[in-house]
Amino acid sequence: MATENPLVLPGDEIDPSLIPTHKTKPLRLGPGLRHVPPNQILPTLAGHLIADHRKNALYVEYNGGRYIPSPSDLVIGQVTRSAADLYYVNLTPYTPNASLPHLAFEGATKKTRPQLANGALVYARISLANRHMDPELECVSTSTGKSEGLGPLTGGMVFDISLGLARRLLMARSRDVGKVAVLELLGAEGLAFETAVGRNGKVWVNSESVKTVVVVGRALKETDEKELGVEQQKKLVQKLIKEMR
Amino acid sequence: MPREAEPSLNERQFVLKALEENLRLDGRTFDKYRALALTFGDEYGVADVTLGRTRVLAKTSAEVTVPYADRPLDGIFTITTELSPMASPAFEINRPTETEILLSRLLEKTVRRSGAMDTESLCLVAGQKCWSVRVDVHVLSHDGNLTDAACFAVVAALRHFRKPDTSMEGGVLTVYTPAEREPVPLSWLHSPFCITWCFFGDEGQMALLDATWSEEQVRVGSCTISLNRHGEICQIAKLGGTPVEAVALLQCTNVALTKAKEFSTYLDKKLAEDAKRRDKDGLMAELSAENDR
Repeated sequence: MATENPLVLPGDEIDPSLIPTHKTKPLRLGPGLRHVPPNQILPTLAGHLIADHRKNALYVEYNGGRYIPSPSDLVIGQVTRSAADLYYVNLTPYTPNASLPHLAFEGATKKTRPQLANGALVYARISLANRHMDPELECVSTSTGKSEGLGPLTGGMVFDISLGLARRLLMARSRDVGKVAVLELLGAEGLAFETAVGRNGKVWVNSESVKTVVVVGRALKETDEKELGVEQQKKLVQKLIKEMR
Repeated sequence: MPREAEPSLNERQFVLKALEENLRLDGRTFDKYRALALTFGDEYGVADVTLGRTRVLAKTSAEVTVPYADRPLDGIFTITTELSPMASPAFEINRPTETEILLSRLLEKTVRRSGAMDTESLCLVAGQKCWSVRVDVHVLSHDGNLTDAACFAVVAALRHFRKPDTSMEGGVLTVYTPAEREPVPLSWLHSPFCITWCFFGDEGQMALLDATWSEEQVRVGSCTISLNRHGEICQIAKLGGTPVEAVALLQCTNVALTKAKEFSTYLDKKLAEDAKRRDKDGLMAELSAENDR
């Protein structure tokens, strides 16, 4: 039996015991893996191989530098300009814009739609992403018609983080699985702030006090750059809180 | 040509709001530099400077050429800068941006025009042969305050550089290889450093040292002061922007002097460390053909 979540390099052979098996569901390959017919699975990226037995899925968790849009990702975009019926939104600098229709907001009609200035930030979901097309965004759930927390972000500050950390922050159990506890710890210290994490490597932080935002931003950046573990994150938070008071 | 990525409205507003409360995003005080690190290469005259996430590499080289006809007794000294797309996708090769032109002009004014190097010592045969010393500045990573980092790199590279030893006998010029004779340092007169202040607020009332790229994008003006450790100011460049009070500028110059002294001490320390590293068995003193002045 091989170790859990081993490190794989592109072209490595994957231990067959790691590949999940399920009676009914077909095997799903996530990012970083490629099926070579007839029956070989090869990693195309360097990272940790993670198997999800419940979903019968296998993928490579890696800390890549470039964001590639994929459907249903939550992202933070910057409006660059407005056209007749859509906004052009930039997800990462120097890449083609994504489009966000004016009507893709909660309760938006031709007359009542949010007016976004150039440079405004929006928290949106990617509704369509094809390889050779510009991605499309939406700020409303198509099934319920509610915004579900998406929409324009006013005030606050965005911080750039690595894609790996963004993914870890978005995990359902980010502390146990993703090993990030800074936000929780800062909250436990009595700081009041709200955040929005974009899959494209951006975190938006807002608070009543400017100081809190700065501290949260520094904590996130330092966790990211120095790749701190949970214990080190605790120390960092204590240090920052001490400096702040 | 790709445009520089603009910060969002939220970022612009927040950076200014934080500055009004005396806060910077990285937790520094207004007059504190980011961590400065200098490493020398294996060759003489290569200096790699990192200032936070800004990284600049300067390389010095020398060759024998014909001096300019109007300056037969002077050597040639040039500084060239290159902002490659590696630093930011907004930079293109062979198409200098405004940043690049301003940077190279500022370096020229600071290092060359201030007479930091004695160009007459580069002359070998009057009107016929001289050394041409050239410094290439490569910006490897751009996170604000390029000027200070680049200037420090240039000065460090030049002071670290050794040119091949030469001799004149009976009208024959001989250039010795490092194996034959130990190379000699350039004749260096003083070390100027650039200190850049960035101004924020409607009337430029807030002054910051060593602004990061996100801060530089929202500044209303900047002022670069070049001076050496003795407080001799080589140039002050305030290119446009909001007018700043004269008294505030004087205060900036005073702080700049302390920073220049810090830079100077740091550079001396690093040069001494590097000399010690190269001087393996203490043979350097014997190998050197230089006269003590």
